[in-house]
Amino acid sequence: MKMMTALLLGTALTVLPSSLFAQEKGGIVNVATIGEPPTLDPMSSTADLVGIVTQHIFETLYTFDKNWKVTPLLAESLPEISADGKIYTIKLRSGIKFHDNTDMTSEDVVASLHRWEKIASRGKQVAGFITAIEAVDPATVKITLTQPYAPLASLLAFNNSAAIIIPSEKQDDVMKDFIGTGPYMLKERKADQYIQLTRFDGYTSRDGESDGYGGARHQYLDEIRFVPVPDPNTRVEAAVSGQYDYVDSIPVESFDKIKAAAATQPMMLKPFGYPVFVFNTAEGVSKNVAVRKAIRQALSMEDMMAAAFGSPDFFSLDGAIYPEAYSWHTEAGTDGAYNVADPEGAAAALKAAGYNGEPLRILTSRQYEFHYKMAQVAAEYLKLAGFTVDMQVVDWATLTQRRADPKLWDIYITHSPFLPEPALIGSLSTSSPGWWDTPARKAAVDAFTAEVDPDKRVALFADVQKAIYDDVAFMKIGNFNAVAAKSTKLEGVDPAPWPYFWNASIAK
Amino acid sequence: MIRYIFQRLFGMFVVMFLVVTIVFVIVRVTPGDPAAVMLGPDATSQDIADLRTQLGLDRSLGVQYLYYMGQLLRGDLGQSIFLNMPVTSALLDRAEPTFFLTLFSLLIASAIALPIGIYAAYRRGSIFDQAATALAMLAASIPSFWLGLIMMQVFAVRFDLFPVSGYGGPGSTFSERMYHLALPAFALGIVSSALVLRFTRASMLDVLGDDYIRTARAKGLIERRVILKHALKNALIPILTVIGLTAAVLVSGAVVTETVFGLPGIGNLVVSAVLRRDYPVIQGALLVIAALYVLINFAIDMLYLLVDPRVRY
Repeated sequence: MKMMTALLLGTALTVLPSSLFAQEKGGIVNVATIGEPPTLDPMSSTADLVGIVTQHIFETLYTFDKNWKVTPLLAESLPEISADGKIYTIKLRSGIKFHDNTDMTSEDVVASLHRWEKIASRGKQVAGFITAIEAVDPATVKITLTQPYAPLASLLAFNNSAAIIIPSEKQDDVMKDFIGTGPYMLKERKADQYIQLTRFDGYTSRDGESDGYGGARHQYLDEIRFVPVPDPNTRVEAAVSGQYDYVDSIPVESFDKIKAAAATQPMMLKPFGYPVFVFNTAEGVSKNVAVRKAIRQALSMEDMMAAAFGSPDFFSLDGAIYPEAYSWHTEAGTDGAYNVADPEGAAAALKAAGYNGEPLRILTSRQYEFHYKMAQVAAEYLKLAGFTVDMQVVDWATLTQRRADPKLWDIYITHSPFLPEPALIGSLSTSSPGWWDTPARKAAVDAFTAEVDPDKRVALFADVQKAIYDDVAFMKIGNFNAVAAKSTKLEGVDPAPWPYFWNASIAK
Repeated sequence: MIRYIFQRLFGMFVVMFLVVTIVFVIVRVTPGDPAAVMLGPDATSQDIADLRTQLGLDRSLGVQYLYYMGQLLRGDLGQSIFLNMPVTSALLDRAEPTFFLTLFSLLIASAIALPIGIYAAYRRGSIFDQAATALAMLAASIPSFWLGLIMMQVFAVRFDLFPVSGYGGPGSTFSERMYHLALPAFALGIVSSALVLRFTRASMLDVLGDDYIRTARAKGLIERRVILKHALKNALIPILTVIGLTAAVLVSGAVVTETVFGLPGIGNLVVSAVLRRDYPVIQGALLVIAALYVLINFAIDMLYLLVDPRVRY
């Protein structure tokens, strides 16, 4: 009998995943971030850094699994959508507590979604489609739309400008108490020094396996501390010395240095996102689509990516808005329109477009050095094509202000992670700087956002991408990878655009 | 004397008024928008406009100025847009690392510069003097943040003697926090020592040729007493001036070093505030820094009275 027990136990030990044994409860992780988040209210900001920190404190009704599919978080299940696509019925999980130990009910959800409509950029985007948000019973919420709006679930799942659920009595426009339902709660924030989160003992995790941002959220760690380390060189040295358990946003040129370190190892998210040149389609020299096409024809995406990221280990050439790993991937519109590198041909096209040597104002910032490097390469190709280039290098705060004025620029350079839902791409909105507003855009985007069938939406996104390429609303330059550094003792952290630590543990 | 002090106080008031006004105007006319920074990259123009209204930034410059001056007269530096706390609290939070970083840097600078400067002047033209002058030139040419990075590489990364960055986590003790200041204090102290050394040497050279030094020697005083009691005391005025001004520069000018070492000091606060366009913090911090300059200058002038009986106001 003893032998049988031993055999069964041995078999079980062999079958069970090793992670179950490796992850021990306790410990503190120190996470070096690129700076201090501008706020800890994730509804009020679209900044990634805000999402990275606050996703541990606050939760949304839905989130994304490892395949970037919407999956329930505070909701019991995916929403029941009426046949006409206008009514979303959301069942809530029971037993969810806020950090002040009150129970989460539908009343809190309704109040939070109203606040989201009022103050969050993405909430305002949805507000025009919503006629009512109601509590059906303490565990059910109903959202009624004016027309079918497929991105709703994704917008409810996103972690910045996020539809977080907070207590109904704490709905001030300027958040005073940071009370969420997340696995960690805010203990102390000393601006520019640290943000200290401690385990929330009243947390109820989802059952089952962890799955990307979804599934079970384990609380192995006692504390998570986010420490702003704004200087990239210091972040590299701090990673090499092992001072921090996780260091975000390492310059790619330091990859080998991190790899050679004993205390830490690099982590690469491949691909992370894409740099993008946004055109001013409302005013100025780039208002003319023929000029925009000539600009695209002139440019070598390969040279720009090489200048920006060095080794091909850190970038790839890809004209599709979404890379192959995403269900949204399509090559529609890219043929002969990406990485053409033909300044002579562009010069002829430019002449035909009636260009008279007006300055082409490229608005960029050195806050992201790769933006600037790409701008420099682009400027040389554009000069070869006959453009008079006016490089306007400003700090990021100035850029975000100037880009709002169509009189001040022709191209601005930015970047984006691959967003789980294409409707979240800012440039698809007519109010976003760039002001892309053509019949082709309206037809493609409206059809895409109104369709609720997932398979049909994938096909409709191809039309959206084709419209982007036909109208040259913006120009994707390529895919780039993100590098972070992780202590060799830190386990349970996977590469992610918004790294999370609820499943992390420290090996003893 | 009393009249002089009142004149100086009035002058300080005028300087502070000008500083407040100039900073207010420069900060407001500089491109950039705190609302856009706060709301993030995907915010719409309407969101930004709404937040500007909420923050009172849509009002005319004149109205904003009068409102700000009213606040100042009530002793209120305003509310930080990003930190969600009064500017005074934000500055007080950051006073400790900046104060001790300045203090330690000055002590290190003085400990290096004073003995070397005095001895170099005493041995004018010797190899020691030439080496000291050359080293001072070298130290003056090195940016403190670069020296900091090198020291970080050697002492924090290679030998693991000091932390790379930060100012201690939650619950850190005073000594732990001071330990985080060691590398930046040495980086700033070494660079600052160059100026103090050159002033010390030059000032000592001035007095060493004076008649009273010859008299002191003729009286048979031992050389150490001649140098440290008679010469140094008379050479102190320019040295004190330069140490005082170095202190003021360190309070305001340790900006890059604080950023490199991730120290949550006043310099770091100013850099973050400028990048975020946190107008109240920029204005408040620059006002405090200007006040420090003015007060340190005033204090130095008062110290002259103590070290030189010939000085009369």
